[in-house]
Amino acid sequence: MIQHLLDGILVGAILSLGATGLTMVMHMLRFANFSHAELLSIGAYVALVFDPLFKALLPLLSAQIGPLSMTWALVAAILVAMALTALSAVLFDRLVFRRVREKGEELSMVFASFGLALIIRNVIGLVFGLHTKLYSQDIVFATVLSRDPLILVKPDQVAVLGVALAVMAALHLMLSRTTFGYALRAVAENPALAQVNGINLGRMIVIVWLLGGALAAMAGVFYGLTNQITPVIGRDLVLPVFAATIVGGIGSIHGALLGGFVVGIAANLALVVLPSGYSPSVPFLIILAVLLVRPNGLFGEERA
Amino acid sequence: MTRNMQRFMLTAGTALGLTLGASAALAQDCTTRIGAVLPTSVDWGRPIAETAQFVVDQVNESGGVAGCQIEMVLRDTQVDPKVGVDAAKALVDLDGVQVLLGAVSSGVSMPILTSVSVPGNVMQMSCCSSSTAFTALAREGKTSGLWFRTFATTGVQAAVAAKVAQDQGYGSVAILYKNDDWGQDIAKLTAGYLEALGIEVTGSVALNDGQPSYRAEVTSALSGNPEAAYLALYPNEGTAAVREWLSLGGTQNMILANSLKSDDFRQNVGLQYLGNALGTDTASPRVDSADDFVTRYTERFGGAPNGPGLANSYDATMIALLAMEAAGAGATGDQIAAQVGRVTDPAGTPVTADGAGFAQARQVLAAGGSVMYQGATGNVRFDANGDVSAPAVVWKFTEDGSEEVQYLSLTEVDTFMASMN
Repeated sequence: MIQHLLDGILVGAILSLGATGLTMVMHMLRFANFSHAELLSIGAYVALVFDPLFKALLPLLSAQIGPLSMTWALVAAILVAMALTALSAVLFDRLVFRRVREKGEELSMVFASFGLALIIRNVIGLVFGLHTKLYSQDIVFATVLSRDPLILVKPDQVAVLGVALAVMAALHLMLSRTTFGYALRAVAENPALAQVNGINLGRMIVIVWLLGGALAAMAGVFYGLTNQITPVIGRDLVLPVFAATIVGGIGSIHGALLGGFVVGIAANLALVVLPSGYSPSVPFLIILAVLLVRPNGLFGEERA
Repeated sequence: MTRNMQRFMLTAGTALGLTLGASAALAQDCTTRIGAVLPTSVDWGRPIAETAQFVVDQVNESGGVAGCQIEMVLRDTQVDPKVGVDAAKALVDLDGVQVLLGAVSSGVSMPILTSVSVPGNVMQMSCCSSSTAFTALAREGKTSGLWFRTFATTGVQAAVAAKVAQDQGYGSVAILYKNDDWGQDIAKLTAGYLEALGIEVTGSVALNDGQPSYRAEVTSALSGNPEAAYLALYPNEGTAAVREWLSLGGTQNMILANSLKSDDFRQNVGLQYLGNALGTDTASPRVDSADDFVTRYTERFGGAPNGPGLANSYDATMIALLAMEAAGAGATGDQIAAQVGRVTDPAGTPVTADGAGFAQARQVLAAGGSVMYQGATGNVRFDANGDVSAPAVVWKFTEDGSEEVQYLSLTEVDTFMASMN
């Protein structure tokens, strides 16, 4: 029981990161972006390319950090992955979403995002192959926290949780304490009014994509680190990430953070009651339950 | 692809020539049709059909079945149940066949059996369907004894996995399986066999494809403190689950289904953790008749029979034709099906799997005797449910792949499985 709860929190941290980016994009551009989870794949694969590169260039970096399977080279690779994924998110907006936004309606955007997701997924498969990849072949053994009841944690997962929480906190401060944060929230609230007040809408959209892409890349690498890397990461994560976003309430960063943990914990705890074959249904059930009780999500607000 | 096509055209042409020549020489004026429903539109399906035609050609050359030449009418299933059923219906209703060969996938063979063969009283002989759902159906008497297959069920692998657990002295085993028809099937069978051997099954956990994490599932499987794990998984989720399993302190005593015999799995989990992992698989028999098949096939097609189901397709066709010979001219599907036991009789006269063997069988059968068919998959013997068994191997991973640890002959597998029932 406690073990399942703990596992849920650790999985939830990754979902929260993905959901935070998605909720911002969905709130600002007002469409369900089904290609968001593919940004996680891009991040994971960029890091997969740069990690060995950094190790080769600077052998010093290939030392492991404490008890983690992560190396300094991977940390550097995460930064590169965040930058490149952020840029590719902006690129996708330029190439696809902006054009559709100008001519089409909300539903066209949703379908465009579906198409984009398929293209990204298949290009990744084409370039890297469909095989399972890993950052490190070593298996990091879990640390026993308690013998009775038996509680095990992996150092990697704790590190991931810590970093995710730190990033969330920084994001929270930025949104609530800086002028830029206010501007961002103003645009999400009412784009027309925000523009009248001198906020550059185009620039804000770019920044949201950059932030969303960077967070997604981080989530993708963490996912690859604690699980494995395949071209279908996006397909596998799109549902839990959406569930987290909807549960939290679209547009609420705090909601996305909480939503990620709710989905992660529920999916893990579900195994205590449900046969394991039914676990994929859990995110759906959570979405249904939350929408029935609070149609705008836990933290969402009704908007005109 | 082009070369394959060319080869196919060439063999098809030769086959046509041979058939025409033979029928002219024997001057028979009757033709009996049999139906084949096989996925010829997929690359691995075509050789299965060609192998069946190869058998028909040999039998026709040796004088045909019950005084008539055999014409095999081949229809494509496209690995689609709907297409397969339509094809089978057309063969039964329009061509009036009493014997259907096929299909390959269990999901296609099953609707053909239940909605065409059984209602139409036609014998169906599949080369390649492995699902135990057929066994269950036959046990309920719903196949009317019309169903046979020359492909061993997943039961063989499950039994061998239990045998490995017993031989290794494991007292308790946790099962992790892929949540699809195959996985559910093999997990249930393995659990049954393990319990029959007095080995405790601490838990049986289903894994779905593409989950964000398998940690919860692995934690559940670990909770019973098993001495070993049985894994019926595919390499992708298998890698994730086993890495999770090991990192959470799970045992390295593992028994693997043949689906994990993969280089990806070996490399990503790491050979250092797979020292105590033993795999199971079915094997081709190591008997002369199987080698003879390889020689004959190579002579005919210019390459060894490397594709899936070729030996099984060969035997399925030959046994069907032998049963037709035994049943005599104008026999109906159920009459033919009733003769299958007489041509695969362990006490019968041994006959080889070629034209000469067929000619010999014809004489023995005409005199009222029975024959033991020695085929490409060994001495085929069906049980009451139309199932066959197969030899098995136990394997383990090595630096550059996998190697055989133990070979279990057909008799050993049969004896072991019988001891548990």
